[in-house]
Amino acid sequence: MATAQTKPPPPSADVTQLPLRRFTVDEYFAMAEAGILKEEERVELIDGVIVEMAPIGNNHLGTTDLYNMSFAREVGDRAIVRVQGSILLAERSMPEPDLVLLRARQDFYRYRAAVPDDVLLLIEVAESSVNYDRYQKLPRYAQAGIPEVWITVLPERIIEAHAEPVAGRYTRNRIYLPGDTISPSALPDIELVVSDILPE
Amino acid sequence: MTTQTKPPPQTSSALNLPVRRFTVAEFLALVEVGVLTSNDRVELLDGVIIEMAPIGDPHAGTVDIYTEMLPSGVDRGTLLRVQGPLALDEHSRLYPDLMLLRRRADYYRSRPLTPEDVLLLIEVADSSVDYDRNEKLPRYANAGVPEVWLTILPEDVVEVHTEPTGNGYRVTRRLRAGDVLQPGCYDGVEIPVGEIIPG
Repeated sequence: MATAQTKPPPPSADVTQLPLRRFTVDEYFAMAEAGILKEEERVELIDGVIVEMAPIGNNHLGTTDLYNMSFAREVGDRAIVRVQGSILLAERSMPEPDLVLLRARQDFYRYRAAVPDDVLLLIEVAESSVNYDRYQKLPRYAQAGIPEVWITVLPERIIEAHAEPVAGRYTRNRIYLPGDTISPSALPDIELVVSDILPE
Repeated sequence: MTTQTKPPPQTSSALNLPVRRFTVAEFLALVEVGVLTSNDRVELLDGVIIEMAPIGDPHAGTVDIYTEMLPSGVDRGTLLRVQGPLALDEHSRLYPDLMLLRRRADYYRSRPLTPEDVLLLIEVADSSVDYDRNEKLPRYANAGVPEVWLTILPEDVVEVHTEPTGNGYRVTRRLRAGDVLQPGCYDGVEIPVGEIIPG
């Protein structure tokens, strides 16, 4: 009858490859309201999965501050500069980009979440998270119709500008280097100096 | 101004990301606040909430056969629990198909089950063989569940796993119709595999 075998179990697969229970934005908010997700947690909702964000380093923080200051000085009342606020991207996605320029609104979006139609420009600053920003977040921004995204890649000292989303892909992609200036398509009179953003 | 254009790859493969993991307490709180409802067939594995495969008819019927064939009760000192939860550690709460438990007068109403309460655990796998074998089984071993019967319907086999270690079960026997199952927690109880799996 029985055959006696001894066999160590095979190594466990990465559990995140299993069918995860995904959450809607409403469920995500309910978790926060109930205190299951704490306010101090750095998380975002991507396709129904609650993702832990990498800790922000000093270079990342300073770069975000510089963008914030440069835009705040120039946009006047034409746009709202929002730093590390959430965007309601889709029913199951609520990412937290580093900075967005939103269409000006008198109520400053106090009463509803900002949605892709409200976004003029979205900026990510990437230190360790380049692949996540490029391959996970960018296609989802394109899918949602965010008109323009800049991924600021600190280790490579470049800004990747992606614009004109068509069918879930950005069709105009340009790399900016130190020595260039860069302008938001929606506010072309504002010129930022890349070497200021990415000093040596 | 340099004008390089390099279209980046815009593929979005499976999420290979640091997923926010939940404790068993948080998992239960999700039920309490109504984020997870009775419509959700989910379990918590290493802090990740996994959707369980729907139970097909062969799976459901096999569970019924086990409930008929496995003796339990006062005289045996055991309880039989069907598709109830078992918390293995702070981040895992799984739903085995059947468990023979040490009998308790309160039927574990007043406290959750722990792995020490389990004498025999049975899984029935139809589409979920890899998940049961590769994910759940090593965790049962690690938690010290003394004996697991993995009933693999597509292979017409019951795998009996005993002698748990932190690194899986040391002994595995693959039984087929014609063989006999003998729960380690009982003396003299024999269940023909042919009753479970027609073969």
